[in-house]
Amino acid sequence: MSQVIIAGDTSGTITLQAPAVSGSTTLTLPAATGTVMVSGNMPAFSAYANNSQTISAGTFTKVQVNTEEFDTNSNYDNATNYRFTPTVAGYYQVNGQTNATSTSTLTRIIPAIYKNGSGYKYGTDITATDARSSVSSLVYLNGSTDYIEYYVLLSGTGTLSTAITAVLDNYFQAAMIRSA
Amino acid sequence: MTLYEKIKALYPQLEDKDFMDTIRLQNDSDGKGDYIAKWEHPTLAKPTQEQLA
Repeated sequence: MSQVIIAGDTSGTITLQAPAVSGSTTLTLPAATGTVMVSGNMPAFSAYANNSQTISAGTFTKVQVNTEEFDTNSNYDNATNYRFTPTVAGYYQVNGQTNATSTSTLTRIIPAIYKNGSGYKYGTDITATDARSSVSSLVYLNGSTDYIEYYVLLSGTGTLSTAITAVLDNYFQAAMIRSA
Repeated sequence: MTLYEKIKALYPQLEDKDFMDTIRLQNDSDGKGDYIAKWEHPTLAKPTQEQLA
């Protein structure tokens, strides 16, 4: 099959049809049941922290990721709880990254994805000075009560904080990749 | 002195990895400050409020 034609009519019906050409003209859809997902019902957001946040050493701290780049379904709270609560059940790709610094010595960065208030996945454990670290994971969210948040643990001496280069490397993102 | 520093002063033998595994200090950025979210250390008792005061 060389191409797929999507044809609509005045009744509002859209027909997916194979072109009438010689050779294979059969369009086969998988027998699996489920919901056809299109971009309009697959939530996604990306936000960054537009400030430097002081963090106590050895303490997983929720990062106040407060500036949205996009939030397709208005499911990300960037003002109060800094959490993503999608209204569509499914599997989500989640990313977070932190660039941290210290007035003295930074020895460790561990970003973490939290689900429903508890640690869910840790990211790369970086033991370096003035460095960045990221976390990436697949998370199932039920489309009603489940939510995710982004935390980070820093270790070292002096005042520890997230860096100000926020839009580039202090961010939190999620996008639905398949339905439940 | 932060909660982490108080606990380290109380138990100097604790290492960084203890705060990733058996002990979890947490701050939910809700204005309530740092707290002990989990204490499952096999030998050291969870500090009391009096010890942390």
